[in-house]
Amino acid sequence: MISKSLRDHRRALIGWVIGLSAFLSMYVGVVYPSIVEDPATYSAQAVAKYPGALKDLMGGLQDFATAPGYLQTVVYQILLPVLFIVCAMVLANRSLAGPEESGTFELIVTLPIDRRRLVLQLFAAMALGLLAVAAVTLAVAWALARSVDMDVRFDRIMAAHIGVYLLALFFGTLTLAVGAATGRKAVASAVLGVWAVLGYMVVTVGKNVDAVSWLKWVSPFHYYAEGRPLYEGLPVGDYLVLAGAVAVLALTAVLSFDRRDVGV
Amino acid sequence: MTGMTAVVQAEGLTKYYGRRRGLEDLTLDIQPGEIFGYLGPNGAGKTTTIRLLLDVIRPTSGQVRVLGADSREAAVRARIGYLPGELVLEGRERARDYLEFLGRTRGGVPPGRVAQLAERLDADLSVPMRKLSKGNRQKVGLIQAFMHEPELLILDEPTGGLDPLVQQEFLAMVREVRASGRTVLMSSHVLAEVEHVSDRVGIVRAGRLVAVENVATLREKAVRRVELHFDAPVPREAFEGLPGVRDLRVEGASVRCTIDGRPDPLIKAAARFTVVHMVSAEPDLEEIFLTYYSEEGRNHDLQVSS
Ligand SMILES: Nc1ncnc2c1ncn2[C@@H]1O[C@H](COP(=O)(O)OP(=O)(O)OP(=O)(O)O)[C@@H](O)[C@H]1O
Ligand SMILES: [Mg+2]
Repeated sequence: MISKSLRDHRRALIGWVIGLSAFLSMYVGVVYPSIVEDPATYSAQAVAKYPGALKDLMGGLQDFATAPGYLQTVVYQILLPVLFIVCAMVLANRSLAGPEESGTFELIVTLPIDRRRLVLQLFAAMALGLLAVAAVTLAVAWALARSVDMDVRFDRIMAAHIGVYLLALFFGTLTLAVGAATGRKAVASAVLGVWAVLGYMVVTVGKNVDAVSWLKWVSPFHYYAEGRPLYEGLPVGDYLVLAGAVAVLALTAVLSFDRRDVGV
Repeated sequence: MTGMTAVVQAEGLTKYYGRRRGLEDLTLDIQPGEIFGYLGPNGAGKTTTIRLLLDVIRPTSGQVRVLGADSREAAVRARIGYLPGELVLEGRERARDYLEFLGRTRGGVPPGRVAQLAERLDADLSVPMRKLSKGNRQKVGLIQAFMHEPELLILDEPTGGLDPLVQQEFLAMVREVRASGRTVLMSSHVLAEVEHVSDRVGIVRAGRLVAVENVATLREKAVRRVELHFDAPVPREAFEGLPGVRDLRVEGASVRCTIDGRPDPLIKAAARFTVVHMVSAEPDLEEIFLTYYSEEGRNHDLQVSS
């Protein structure tokens, strides 16, 4: 079932790898060198372009012209995670809620595979698919960083990339869990959207607002970016929290799907 | 209990979708080696019953055992072949590869079996699934249900979308399943579609099983129009008062009547003369059946309203 699911995802996975690589080429291979040539103008421009709250929303935009600073604020702050999260959502919906809504799941759930096992296998296929995308794009990011002489260590890029992977896996598993519980793609996507947008706001513009700042504990972005992996390396504790949350969500998916009617 | 365990055992099986009734209090046993036709109008509860048997949906109350096991046990589904009422096949994958996947997951299919079935049903398996025509989709559905030679076949409206020739081939496949001692449950809207292969038929109506009948018994009960032609005029008295014979008309060398049940007395009476020609119209089981269950329904409605 895992290999079948991966085969079904193949085209989508290839598409996302190409898309993400193009994104990285643009931002690391093309934009970064031009910033390095003329750092003062770009930093000033950036700060002028994004005033106040908007600047917070972009993660502060400080330290724009160093390699880790650039990667952190431009690539890993929001754009790459968002793309990865959307990719995870697509994969998750294609695994369960999509087939259930279309009706192709009817034959799958009547195979001699225990329901719990089935969901676990779909989860595993999604996690592996995302891992493949993450691994290839990490290689692409590293190769690009080398080609434009970025002064950044491989283990730092890898630490950030692992964070992106865990973040996407968290949201993918969330989508899978809501899909497993409701059988509705739209509901799953909506839950993901709300959680992701609010979660991101809380750790950026909400950071200094006492009324909401405590919510950062339930925001996956807090565990993703707070450890500043590009500067300080792998934030093991934070990432373990993300991994633990993924496990809890996967378990929720397994149990909720086991209990309900399919395709009603 | 008789010696053999029933292949399907449902007891008080009830399914409500929220407040909507799907199926109410179904108690039914299907024996090994039998072909059971499950009939009913739209929305009667056929698909609901079938999906309960396969554990796609869960009963509101009551119990169901399939092949001696709880329907919740996944392993038992390797011994079932299931054709959904609304089969959906999608994607770029070729039908052949999908069948291969299903077969592997169910524990293997004898080599050459898929190709053989595809040839019998005249199905093209090299087409991507989303490009299959309705009839070809149904053929792929039949192939996947039959290919692993399951002990129990559960077919929800199997003949939908098939042309008459393929329907005949399908019925032949069903007979072969019975010949090998395996069991079939198939649903349909019309008796005519299943009467030639079914041993028993059940009728479900507004969520309730209102009748289960032996097809042979039904046939015996059936009214049949018979015409006999002799080489010389025959006396009316020879055919009068025969049990089961009604609407008798004797005109010279021909006799016309309807018979109720067995034709035996009429045949024996006719045998005393020289028969040159005989016509016996196929009984319309549908008609008896429909009157039968519309009466049942009326009784039921009366009980409810009183
Ligand atoms: N998912 C569902 N949600 C709510 N009600 C449902 C659902 N599925 C079926 N029903 C209701 O349950 C009843 C039985 O439906 P079912 O699909 O079992 O009928 P059927 O005999 O298979 O009909 P058909 O011949 O049209 O396929 C109908 O009244 C139907 O409206
Ligand atoms: Mg139906």
